[in-house]
Amino acid sequence: MIDKKTKPLTPAVLHILLALSTKDRHGYGIMKQVEADSLGKVNMGPGTLYGSIGRMIEAGLVHESDKKIDSEMDDERRVYYKITGSGQKALTLELDRYRGVIAVANQKRLSLNTLSYGI
Amino acid sequence: MAYKLSIQQLRRWYAKLLRLFSRPYYERFGQGMEQTFNDLLQERAREDRALLAFAFWMFLETSAGITRERTRFIIMNNQNIIRIALVTVSILLLPLLAMLFTDEVAWDLADFIIAGILLFAAGLAYELLARRAGNVAYRAAVAVAVVAGLILVWVNLAVGIIGSEDNPANLMYVGVLAVGIIGASIARLHPHGMSRTLSAMAIAQALVPVFALIIWKPSVTSGEAAIDLFVLGVSAFFVLLFVVSAMLFRRASAFGST
Repeated sequence: MIDKKTKPLTPAVLHILLALSTKDRHGYGIMKQVEADSLGKVNMGPGTLYGSIGRMIEAGLVHESDKKIDSEMDDERRVYYKITGSGQKALTLELDRYRGVIAVANQKRLSLNTLSYGI
Repeated sequence: MAYKLSIQQLRRWYAKLLRLFSRPYYERFGQGMEQTFNDLLQERAREDRALLAFAFWMFLETSAGITRERTRFIIMNNQNIIRIALVTVSILLLPLLAMLFTDEVAWDLADFIIAGILLFAAGLAYELLARRAGNVAYRAAVAVAVVAGLILVWVNLAVGIIGSEDNPANLMYVGVLAVGIIGASIARLHPHGMSRTLSAMAIAQALVPVFALIIWKPSVTSGEAAIDLFVLGVSAFFVLLFVVSAMLFRRASAFGST
């Protein structure tokens, strides 16, 4: 379903997929992981987080797993979210895309330097 | 303790705010969002950071989410109605554009409103009647019947089929539509009953000019004779449409379902 023609992911979706790539997480857990991954630069509110999760579920990128108690928090049972195979593929493709962009940027920097020295 | 009280209060208000989401969305994510909101407040309380400004930002952010989701929900659930409205507007653009280039087309505001209502109502009628139809014949039958009804009303309002639009004889065409509405209600939209209803409409349609010619006897001038032929011709056209629709409903009936 996910191929190279797939549209780039939105920043929110990319961060959520990254957060879920290591383990299943509940809403608050995703928020904290996104905050940590982005070194505090990305702060999602519940509206953005759950809006994105809803669309990601529809797109088959993540799915809900059973409600569990998070022993590190309180005794409330929480819905955990899990990345799917399609989600993993989408994440891999997006990261490849980023790597490609960085490679091009690095190359241009070298070329520009070379050119500027040449002029 | 003071923190605990205010967190509980804020959580209650947040839970009320979440009820503004569409029902399916609320049922799916409402509890998780409320928990996440509570977790974020607890975290700030542990770190002894200001709660109210943060809660205010959360309420704003979630309100924006509600607006986004509600808009999406309305669009998703009313796509067909929006499509009908867009088609109606597109059709109405034709006379509007024509008025820019020729004096032959001279619609006033009332004309546009009436035409808009008729087109939208016809689209809506098709959508409501054919939405659940599983077979093509049933949908085609509904389409033909709706188009016939639309043209019948439009022509009568615009110029009138019998004489001018002010001729009371044209009111008999209301009877044709009434036969359709009553028949469809009795048939409960089942194809077999709808086939009979459309057949009845065809008969009623055929009888209208006959009654009109008997009641409003035209004098035998060549001009009026031509008008009578016109009335018969137009009526025959509508009879044909109703018969075609009845046959399609009959075909749909043969498939055994709508």
